Amino acid sequence: MASSPKVGQISKQDKIRSIMGQYGIGVVLIIMMIIIAVMEPRFLTLSNIINVATQISINGLLCYGLCICITTGGIDLTVGAQLALTSCIIGQTMTNLGWPAFLAILAGVAVSTAFGFIDGCLIAKFNMFPFVVTLSMQLVIRGLSQVITGGRAVMITNKWFAGIYSNKLFGIPMPIIIFIVVTILMYLMLHWTKFGRYIYAVGGNVNAAVASGVSRFWVLVGVYTISGLLAGLASMIYTSKTGAAQSNIGVGYETDAIAAAVLGGTSFAGGIATIPGDVLGIFIIGLIYNGMNMIGVSSYFQSIVKGLIIIGAVMLDMVMNKNNH
Amino acid sequence: MDGKINASDYILNCENISKAFGGTQALKGVQLHVKPGEVHALLGENGAGKSTLMKIVIGLYKQDEGTMTFDGKPYQAKGPVDAINCGISMIHQELNPEPHLTIAESIFLNREDTNGIFLNKKKQNERTQKILDDFGFPYPATTLIRDLKLADVQMVEIIRAVSTNAKMIIMDEPTSSLDENETQHLFKVIRDLKAQGVAIIYISHRMAEIYEICDTVSVFRDGEFIGSSPLKDITNDELIAMMVGRKVENQFPKVDCPIGDVVFKAEGLTGKGFNNISFEVHAGEILGFSGLVGSGRSETMRAIFGMDPLESGKMYLNGQEITVKNPRDAINKGICMVNEDRKNFGLCLHRSIRENVSLPNLPARQKGILLNQAREKKEVEEYSKLLTLKAASIEHTAFSLSGGNQQKVVISKWIMAGPKLLIMDEPTRGVDVGAKAEIYTLMSKFAAEGMAIIMISSELPEIMGMSDRVLVYHEGSISGEFMREEIVNGNVTQEDILTKAFGIG
Amino acid sequence: MKKKMLAVAMATAMVLGLVACGSSSAPAATAPAKEEAPAEEAKEEAPAEAEAPAEEAAAPAGADVNGDGKVIVGYISKNFTDPFHAPINARAEEYFNQAVADGIIDEWTGLLDGETDPNKQIDRAADCISKNCDIVIFLPAEAEASDPALVQMANAGISVIEVNSKSTSCDDLAIAYVGSDDVQAGNMLAQWVVDNCPNGGKYIHCNGILGNSAQLQRTEGMHAIMDEHPEFEMVGDFDTKWDGNLASDAASDSMAKYGDDLVAIICDNDGMSSAAQKTCNDNGRSDIICIGVDGVEVPLQMVKEGTLKATVLQDGVGQINGAIAIVEALVKGEEYDPNPVIPFVLVTADNVDEYL
Repeated sequence: MASSPKVGQISKQDKIRSIMGQYGIGVVLIIMMIIIAVMEPRFLTLSNIINVATQISINGLLCYGLCICITTGGIDLTVGAQLALTSCIIGQTMTNLGWPAFLAILAGVAVSTAFGFIDGCLIAKFNMFPFVVTLSMQLVIRGLSQVITGGRAVMITNKWFAGIYSNKLFGIPMPIIIFIVVTILMYLMLHWTKFGRYIYAVGGNVNAAVASGVSRFWVLVGVYTISGLLAGLASMIYTSKTGAAQSNIGVGYETDAIAAAVLGGTSFAGGIATIPGDVLGIFIIGLIYNGMNMIGVSSYFQSIVKGLIIIGAVMLDMVMNKNNH
Repeated sequence: MDGKINASDYILNCENISKAFGGTQALKGVQLHVKPGEVHALLGENGAGKSTLMKIVIGLYKQDEGTMTFDGKPYQAKGPVDAINCGISMIHQELNPEPHLTIAESIFLNREDTNGIFLNKKKQNERTQKILDDFGFPYPATTLIRDLKLADVQMVEIIRAVSTNAKMIIMDEPTSSLDENETQHLFKVIRDLKAQGVAIIYISHRMAEIYEICDTVSVFRDGEFIGSSPLKDITNDELIAMMVGRKVENQFPKVDCPIGDVVFKAEGLTGKGFNNISFEVHAGEILGFSGLVGSGRSETMRAIFGMDPLESGKMYLNGQEITVKNPRDAINKGICMVNEDRKNFGLCLHRSIRENVSLPNLPARQKGILLNQAREKKEVEEYSKLLTLKAASIEHTAFSLSGGNQQKVVISKWIMAGPKLLIMDEPTRGVDVGAKAEIYTLMSKFAAEGMAIIMISSELPEIMGMSDRVLVYHEGSISGEFMREEIVNGNVTQEDILTKAFGIG
Repeated sequence: MKKKMLAVAMATAMVLGLVACGSSSAPAATAPAKEEAPAEEAKEEAPAEAEAPAEEAAAPAGADVNGDGKVIVGYISKNFTDPFHAPINARAEEYFNQAVADGIIDEWTGLLDGETDPNKQIDRAADCISKNCDIVIFLPAEAEASDPALVQMANAGISVIEVNSKSTSCDDLAIAYVGSDDVQAGNMLAQWVVDNCPNGGKYIHCNGILGNSAQLQRTEGMHAIMDEHPEFEMVGDFDTKWDGNLASDAASDSMAKYGDDLVAIICDNDGMSSAAQKTCNDNGRSDIICIGVDGVEVPLQMVKEGTLKATVLQDGVGQINGAIAIVEALVKGEEYDPNPVIPFVLVTADNVDEYL
């Protein structure tokens, strides 16, 4: 056919298209940054950018956990409560039992990981719906954190522990370092290990995955355990940041994490997600908060603005994706 | 091939239809003319443009160029429901059964009987029952779809299309999951519809069926209309030549190779749907399993592969007794299985070809705990070349491929696993003629390299053309065994195998 | 098969766990069962009683308002999770357990969890009615939405004492309100900032969950003072939802934007002000004045070690003690003050030891 374009051209276009399709949300991020920077020039100062990166670390870790659970076709609603439980364990063991900070963190993260493992077992072994399991476990976990602290806040004065949030390495705050390390590990896990492939396969088509020798049980147990572990680490940063352990923190934190994952292209149908996409989603959510604070949106409108930006971003992403098909 | 077209003689006229997807031109100015009361075959390899044209006809896609008329009026459907209202129904190749619906609900989906806003289930069930009775369909209208066999689900789809009082019905591979008996039943239905003046567009890769039931044929290749002719005026070889653009010398390129030692031996296997099954398969041998759909062939193989539990019986691989707990276990021991249900058990459709092919083969392709992606990529590319996979890149999704190429992806992944025993359940279902021949060639090649192959097939020509030995199933037991020499000599015919399959002999 | 057994085993374990958890509160749980017969009698009488209290509200009724010969006290908390409420709940639990043991009252319901949810509080109120409570101590979660709980109990003839915050019809239906004036707390927050930043400057405000009465009144009290001082400019008003993490982010964002111009952060509670102060200190800005209301443990500790300059203490235990005094007066048939105001206390390094 005379009209058929040259082969080379197609593949180049295709390449650009596929990158646009995968990371088109990055365009949304850039647009947001430009708008905020125009309205508030101080947004683009190095100190504010470091500030934003520090703030997103908590939601970032939670988002990765949710992302892999969603990719297997599930969901983890326990992360908010896990945040509280780990915080309470760290506070109680360190302040009231006098454990060294390192041991206290280990205990807290171990417990949140164990709860993730239990979630995974219930879901994989008994074929229970992830929504139901994690919705109920969330109550158990929050209840447990109330039992541990009796509802009281526990002050944490340990300098070393406070340093997890405030210390800097080569001028970069620790939460950013933790976030970068976890991001690299998650990237390698999802895109460079067989476990990552199995996550995609179980989420994409569980029958085909099992027929290809994938153990559904271990994949599901694995993702919920990792989600628990990440929630524990997020809680460590949170507790260090506020200097207090209490049982009422983290309510509703799963919503921001889910929103970031969805903005990052994680599909609720399962089997589709990328870590670079998640990073973009996490930054968008972080920018919504930071941008509103910088611009000075009235407190009564912040919730509305946040919701509308998320819907708008997902829609824009879909419109850009549609052009590819 | 046609001379001048007089549009008024035809119920459906498609003129100069073109459609492009991104940079790919799927249809290039094609035409199609269907008379009322005729069965019109559409032939072409997968990717030739038949499905795209049909999707334009029922309004799933909109053509870039071209016009259509239906029943004497200009026609352009806005979607499948609109098409049904205009009198065109389609039975899809890939069934979309809603497992939790009853037969009645499934048949009246989107056009339920209502009293105001409430469903009138009683009336709907009665109407459905009458239709089912007319078809001689032996289930009550309240049966759930999930309790039906695949073939019966197919039948429900057909009944649904017929019950819309369509003037034209499009059937995309309607017999792919039906056995001989059910196929004949379908043909009776088609003849009745034809007598009532309903036009049928019949898409199939089974040449024998096309000659049996169709009146006219239109052939497509690479998005272009090649020609149209009454079937009585054209031979099988001519048709195949039109389709593939070259002459296919040998439909079943079976190469005889020396049969080696016993690779796999089953002794008294019993499980759900099969009873006391014993057989051996040798290196270099293609062992065909024939029988009716639902006779227990697939069930036996699923149990051997570890997908279903085995109640009793012993299995030996290279003389060693083995037990298989799950598919991973089977793969590790060298047993692989191409499942008959490609969509549900074969592929993760939205993942790339590369990921699909390497999925069972990842453990051996790691550097430390990370994957050796360079090696993976290289190997998958090698295997896709070996299997003549037609895809622009192995990074494209499996979803974007035609049926034949999807099947090649599934076969690639198991060949990459290096099996001692390869079980292929309906290896050419939904695969076009060209790709079929390629798959047969590959099977011969693998057998010649010393692999033992078990092939389950409902197509008798395939079983007889490719097998070194044929075992026939009847109601969960082996009812007959035939050797290749007997078949080649003509001592054993299709009738002999069918007799065993029906358990008459 | 294995799976089934495992499932049964797990279910059994869970039930056993529940029984074990329940056993600690067993006395409270089993007691009403014994009283089944009188309870039914009481129900029959209830309609007649229901009309009575409206007229009788003025005169101090005896403790046993429903005349079943027993004094039963209910306690509907605001929640079990907020550190401010933990000592209040603990004090109530300690006192009423002792009061039952000493025979001052016959029974009490134990701590009922309001989950900061008006809907749950209304359900708990219904529980108190069906348990034949005579007196209920009630800490409303919301002014409007929790009010039906009060109306319901008052209509059932129960003497309700509201503590900590008022629901809408508190003045009409509750026999007493023991609390502090949140507007006063807001005044104190603002006054501290005015006194400690003589040159004025930019400040931000971190809200509690919008619409909570404490958020509304503290904000109102703050504005009453700050708006009189033109040298101060409010440059940010954040929806920080009582969340220390969000307040901390608001603090770092504002520091990034206003740098040295930012002089103060006023928070609706001190969970937020302590987290904000910590962030300021971590960024080398310990000069920023952060202050909030409540006086929970962590901010008090920070005041003690000098990292936080002050916090405004709401004397929760004082409030519940006020309610307890009214219960005792009711039991003895004595007069009582139906509206004792428990003052807020400004806690600084000078007086922090009294409250730790």
